[in-house]
Amino acid sequence: MKAIRNLCLMLLYLFLLAPIIVVFIVSFDTRQYLAFPPESWSFGSYAKVFANDAFIAAFGRSVVIGLVVGLIAVAIGMLLSMALVRYKFRGRDTIGFLVLAPFLVPSIVLAVGLMLVLSPMGLLDTYAGIMLAHLGITVPYTVRTITMSLMAVDRRIEEAAMVHGASPFTVFRRITLPLVSPGLIAGGVIAFLISFDEATISLFIVSIRTSTLPTEIYRYLEYSTDPQIAALSVVLILISVAVVVLVERLIGLRKAI
Amino acid sequence: MTERHVSVENLVKTYPGAAKPSVDDVSFSLPRGEMLALLGPSGCGKTTILRMIAGLVEPTSGSIRLNGREVSGIPVYKRNMGMVFQAYALFPHMTVAENIAFGLEMRGIAKADRAAKVARALDLVKLSGLGDRRITQLSGGQQQRCAIARSLVIEPELLLLDEPLSNLDAKLRDEMRDEIREIQGRTGVTAIFVTHDQDEALSMADRLAVMSAGRLEQIGTPRQIFDRPETEFVASFIGAGNFLNGRVTAAGEAAVDGFGALRFVGDAAVGQDVRLMVRPHRLVMGGAANSFTGTVEHIVYRGQILTMTVRAGETRLQADLHTHAGALPEKGQTVTLGVAPEDVTFIGRAA
Ligand SMILES: Nc1ncnc2c1ncn2[C@@H]1O[C@H](COP(=O)(O)OP(=O)(O)OP(=O)(O)O)[C@@H](O)[C@H]1O
Ligand SMILES: [Mg+2]
Repeated sequence: MKAIRNLCLMLLYLFLLAPIIVVFIVSFDTRQYLAFPPESWSFGSYAKVFANDAFIAAFGRSVVIGLVVGLIAVAIGMLLSMALVRYKFRGRDTIGFLVLAPFLVPSIVLAVGLMLVLSPMGLLDTYAGIMLAHLGITVPYTVRTITMSLMAVDRRIEEAAMVHGASPFTVFRRITLPLVSPGLIAGGVIAFLISFDEATISLFIVSIRTSTLPTEIYRYLEYSTDPQIAALSVVLILISVAVVVLVERLIGLRKAI
Repeated sequence: MTERHVSVENLVKTYPGAAKPSVDDVSFSLPRGEMLALLGPSGCGKTTILRMIAGLVEPTSGSIRLNGREVSGIPVYKRNMGMVFQAYALFPHMTVAENIAFGLEMRGIAKADRAAKVARALDLVKLSGLGDRRITQLSGGQQQRCAIARSLVIEPELLLLDEPLSNLDAKLRDEMRDEIREIQGRTGVTAIFVTHDQDEALSMADRLAVMSAGRLEQIGTPRQIFDRPETEFVASFIGAGNFLNGRVTAAGEAAVDGFGALRFVGDAAVGQDVRLMVRPHRLVMGGAANSFTGTVEHIVYRGQILTMTVRAGETRLQADLHTHAGALPEKGQTVTLGVAPEDVTFIGRAA
């Protein structure tokens, strides 16, 4: 029984990971078109990726956009979470729903909507435009992770700080913020990865000046299909995994101390 | 007026949406250096009173004064109070020493002075050497002592302790009782101590305030509360009691079924129907004052004491007698018991 279950699990994982495995293998192929399995092996595609200025520039923009979006999404998420968790006010449920609404709307609908909103403001193909768009889809995640952390904070700990002389701002800085830091970090990382990875919405909003790595990849695929794309995909996967592992280590370490 | 360090007047708190006030017209005051125990059954409003004094809950009406000065306009963090929360509420992301230093830091004490004071506080609660530990690495009792140190080290105007011993085992509780009392005596801080353990209240406090359903039933020294309870609630909440109905026949004397004439302490007019209370362990064998004869209906031997139910006329009484190796009363036997008039307490008019 247990063996069967393990077998099923293994097949499931294999099914999920198959595309990644194929991409990984293909990335070492020397032919100039995508085919499986490779006939001969080399790191040539990787060298080409790192020599491709368009990719490198887009990668840099994606990292910057991801970092800024991550930070702002965390800040907005913190403020919204404080309001939603700590204060009772009219329309709280409505705001709570609106914040999470992007979860429910298909990306393509969101993309068209954002384009229609940003276009008259002259924000298409600007950093502000793409960051605003990415904030729209990442804030729901930061609100979620931070709200979770915040709800787990015992109010009495904050009260104890206040009784012993901490002003409300000091309580926030010295007690609340450190206690929700796992939620802040998790939210920030998720926001970064989503922004870094986002293609659908970005395609509607950016063109040349602020093209991100995913849009650059998409554009590249329109004209050519060679193992460079596979190599680039492997690099991106490795970066995502590295970020997650690093954060897991960092937060994990902190909790262990 | 000057010796009133803390005074609470006509304090009322009705939580939003509640039908009845949780704290109902409570007034009391403490001289400097006194330790007052607030006690009463669960939900009677003890924590609410502490939280109002600390400023964490806004009173519906009434006033709280510190040194004669109304505190309602003073924000929580400027009230200079120390508080031990029922669940400790230590800062989980700081070390023991950082927890204790927190209040000092907020008061802008220089780092060197801070370290010296923290070291002394750690010593005081016998946590020396554990300063660098994380809170999660402390036992329950150690966490509690850390919470006490955190609130004592700032030398607060007023120390508020909310059932600080409730999570400890019996032995640790006894030790901590003595320790808190000793620390409070040594530092001379005024303290209000919430508990629903009568033993704790009687042994630790200078005075007790007994509450019931939001109201202050009685406030007094342990002896006043135990020996001269003013209401039936206080009499039955603190210790056990036999309650008797009688009619006053002469000054300090009432006719009680089964006793004949029972002499008591208290002011009651002749002809009045009264309620009297006798503690089971204040009844003694033999014919002293207020003696009466009854039949032993039920008896339990408990080693140190013998608990028996005696029936005199229509009245049933519980008597707790000290045991000895000689002959003891037996079930069905007729016994003569007595009680000193000062151990018969007048509680009030009969219902
Ligand atoms: N924040 C609150 N909102 C509404 N009602 C409350 C709140 N806090 C307490 N109460 C109510 O007020 C009453 C008194 O509560 P309080 O916590 O003061 O009791 P307590 O005497 O400390 O009880 P315990 O011994 O169980 O700690 C209770 O009936 C409780 O349900
Ligand atoms: Mg309580």
